[in-house]
Amino acid sequence: MRGKCLLLLSFLLLFWSAGVAVAADLARLPEPPKVKEAQAKLGRYLFFDTRLSGDAALSCASCHDPNKGWANNVENDEELSDAYPGSKYFRNAKSPINVAFAETVYWDGRLPGKSMLQVHVRDHITETHFMNMDGRLMLERMKQIPMYVRMFKQAWNAEPSFGNIRNSIREFEKTLVSRNVPFDKYLQGDQNALSSPAKRGLGLFKGRAGCIKCHHGPMLSDYKPYNLGVPANPKIWNDPMRHFTLRSFQLAMGVPGFERAERDVGYYAVSKKKKDIGRFVTPSLREVSRTAPYMHNGVFKSLEEVIEFHAKGVGPDIEPVALSKGEIRELVEFLKSLSGDVIKVAKPADMPEDYTLIEDWYNKRN
Amino acid sequence: MKKVLRNISLSLIIALVLVGGKPVVAEDVPELAPLGPPPIPTDNPMTPAKIELGKMLFFDTRLTGDASLSCASCHDSKAGWGDASDVCRGYPGTSHWRNCQTIINAAYYNKLFWAGSSRSLEAQAETANRGAVAGNGERDMMEARLYQIPEYIKRFKQVFGTEYPNLKDAWRAIAAFERTLVQRDTPFDRYMKGDKAALSEKAKKGLELFKGKANCIQCHNGPLLTDEKYHNIGVPENPAFEEDPLKQITFRYEQYAKGVTEEIYRTTKTDLGLYYQTKRKEDMGKFRTPSLRYLNYTAPYMHNGVFFTLEEVIDFYNEGGGDDPIEKLYRLSTKTEKLKPLNLNDEEKGALMAFLESLTGEEIILAPPELPDYAVMK
Repeated sequence: MRGKCLLLLSFLLLFWSAGVAVAADLARLPEPPKVKEAQAKLGRYLFFDTRLSGDAALSCASCHDPNKGWANNVENDEELSDAYPGSKYFRNAKSPINVAFAETVYWDGRLPGKSMLQVHVRDHITETHFMNMDGRLMLERMKQIPMYVRMFKQAWNAEPSFGNIRNSIREFEKTLVSRNVPFDKYLQGDQNALSSPAKRGLGLFKGRAGCIKCHHGPMLSDYKPYNLGVPANPKIWNDPMRHFTLRSFQLAMGVPGFERAERDVGYYAVSKKKKDIGRFVTPSLREVSRTAPYMHNGVFKSLEEVIEFHAKGVGPDIEPVALSKGEIRELVEFLKSLSGDVIKVAKPADMPEDYTLIEDWYNKRN
Repeated sequence: MKKVLRNISLSLIIALVLVGGKPVVAEDVPELAPLGPPPIPTDNPMTPAKIELGKMLFFDTRLTGDASLSCASCHDSKAGWGDASDVCRGYPGTSHWRNCQTIINAAYYNKLFWAGSSRSLEAQAETANRGAVAGNGERDMMEARLYQIPEYIKRFKQVFGTEYPNLKDAWRAIAAFERTLVQRDTPFDRYMKGDKAALSEKAKKGLELFKGKANCIQCHNGPLLTDEKYHNIGVPENPAFEEDPLKQITFRYEQYAKGVTEEIYRTTKTDLGLYYQTKRKEDMGKFRTPSLRYLNYTAPYMHNGVFFTLEEVIDFYNEGGGDDPIEKLYRLSTKTEKLKPLNLNDEEKGALMAFLESLTGEEIILAPPELPDYAVMK
């Protein structure tokens, strides 16, 4: 009896969730999150400080460069991100813009976004192929820099700690949100915010092209994993350092067969369910016109290529759709309307000084 | 039966000494002796192929975080298998906080590191390669790098029978290599085996002082010239900690990472040594007696490298050691009572020096082996 009830309940849930998916629509970005000023300011300095990595060679901005769409640079053929010295990354770095509204972070969605951004900051700092930093050593470095000691006092009324370092960067990331987005203005009733081709693109997006099936909600993403059959990027497999970095990651995630690791298994590394091999979480389309290259391995350089590829319906989780060149152009026009004002954040001119000697060391309290 | 009798007579002697109520002068300590072959653990037998692999890995930078250092970077054969600095250089962007010890004869110690925090050479290798101010390597990355080197895959398979290299086996190979880095043919060893001409008259006089008036043998005894026990001898602080911000960072980090109380973290600036293992106050400031072998090449001396010459070391002991840093902090003296002013004159100091120098043989220099490259694998 109880079993039957449960079965019925799960059927109901299934219909309910399917109903939500069908009804899903696009939405404008929520209001920018409330940010604690002093903490975000401190986070900005930390974002650019290489002393947050093990051998002090990298900062967050090394791979998320505000001058390169907050990620890699397609013009310089850098579709794959850098990594900690001694390794090379096997994926395309994502832009942190609007991460404050993201359900999850990373291409495999393994960590939470939104109000839990400090979790992925921790992961970036400690992960062996990102910043390879022992958090305990990092906080002692901060304590050796008087300007930071003052800033932590001001922002947190406390001395530097690993937690406050993470939370400061979280607050800084919360400031990185799109503003004055044409599409959002359009949704608020400004009919002139979109050009005619963009409006036709929007129609296709929601209609025949079917993009909206996965790209919906305020971030234009359902944050679910799909296998689109994205072609392999030979640069990964032809570079032993990228290859072993991928193997190292799979080892850490406990992926069976990590020693061989001949493909990026995507969401499978998280779920360990066979059906998820090769699935990657739908990326947000916000700011997409500025975040080339595309896909988890950066294999596509332009939005046209990406749309053509989607239209072919190569992978098991996507249907083919016939689109003309003109329709592809219209879709691109619509996608361009998802970018707001360019977010320019420069490395602070007054970055904190070098480590400073603590005088009277033997008598000073730590 | 013989052994029982010996034990009884030993107890008798001790009892007599105690009954006499006099201070114990000559303790029963293991005698000095020539060095035998190093102990080989049964779970890591030596083979030529394993030793060869271990040698390669010892010199391979890919077993550290950013692939810029190898074991040999801080244990350089041209610097007595240490790094010739008072405080070890450490990982890029950091400084270490203690003196690098020589690898020569490390095979004989029952525990490794200055405060005995590792139980085997295998464990020591892993700790050194992973520590944030040493190798800063992460297990997954170091092992995955080995997967990408066909020559290593072949050699690990040959030595350990595994399909892919296992990082634990890398530490075993390195330990096997280190067990070949021993020195057993010093003038002292030859002398102890009967070659009376192996020591100069001066050195022989030094040996008598070592065993007698200077009483070094209280702690530096047995074939390795160490009791492998932990003592606070009052080593002075190294002024480098007052001069280098990186060392101040690392000092705090080490105390934080070793899990001391907040009060100790806030106030203590002296290395507490064995305390970090045991968390017992009576172990504060104690360090394991180092071997005196290969001494000629291993300056500077002491856990913080504060003495750059053997003359300084002898002068230090002649004064009866240093002030107890623990007593100053905690009003609890942990300094060993074995140290007393020795009243050695210059001639006696010279003789002692001559004996100490006889504990070192030929310098052991090793050229780095050729290392295999990463390969594309499909």
